[in-house]
Amino acid sequence: MELTDGDLIARVLVDDDQHAFGELVRRHQSSVRGLLRQLTRTDVAIADDLAQETFLRAYKNIRSFRGEARFSTWLYRIAYNCFRENARRRKEFVGIDEEQLQSEHDPQVADPALRHDLMYALSLLSLHERSAILLCCQNGLSHEEAARVLDIPLGTVKTNVLRGREKLKRSLAAWGPD
Amino acid sequence: MDEKQQEDSLDRQLREAAPYIDDEGFTARVLQQLPPPRRGRDSLRAVILLGITLLASALAYVLSDGGRFLVVAMARLTALPTLWLLALAFGSGFFFMAGGVVVALSKASEPRP
Repeated sequence: MELTDGDLIARVLVDDDQHAFGELVRRHQSSVRGLLRQLTRTDVAIADDLAQETFLRAYKNIRSFRGEARFSTWLYRIAYNCFRENARRRKEFVGIDEEQLQSEHDPQVADPALRHDLMYALSLLSLHERSAILLCCQNGLSHEEAARVLDIPLGTVKTNVLRGREKLKRSLAAWGPD
Repeated sequence: MDEKQQEDSLDRQLREAAPYIDDEGFTARVLQQLPPPRRGRDSLRAVILLGITLLASALAYVLSDGGRFLVVAMARLTALPTLWLLALAFGSGFFFMAGGVVVALSKASEPRP
């Protein structure tokens, strides 16, 4: 019988069982790396570094996980914090901010082959809309869970999901079928 | 297609557009970076703490003339007026209850790593 996340976490807590933690990493690496790749706009190297940082922090702080939320939700929260800290550092040291990144993805200058890509449409959304859409629509979190992950009010999450969906629909409709 | 169906379709497309990412050594890299298991460190810490506690107890016993200060303190306590004793009991009870409440409140919200 396959062990649940809760069983594996108990093994990590009681025996400091790193194999059990390895199983948790194996189970959740795809969704965490996928989320970070979307947040960093498919910068795979940075996203994977942040994913490693996410799991290291999760291991060091696993005693603070009390099982009130799903383990994956807790991981998304750590991942989002890692992403925000990295974005802040980049802004401070390199001077890259969200607006600049936005302009780098101008649909007028982008590869036309990417125009019909839903993920590309997603990358055109603002960071807050993109985060809300990724968590709620792609990863299946409730609005309440997303609000906890993003540390913003519930109403703001709902607004961002609504706006994000509208923009995605508009982008896809404007590009039209081949 | 109505609004709800459109949303469901969009959500499905989003889920399908995010394929499973193969591990490709990712888990191994994370495990390599983990700090060493703390079992060894914990038992060493327990031995040190126990040793220090025993040493301090023996020292206190010898220096206090066989724990005579405790007998003296108890005798002084019994000599206190009843009202003072009650105030002392309530005061210490309140102090520990407030401490417990503060600790419980600080642990109420899931800490952010």
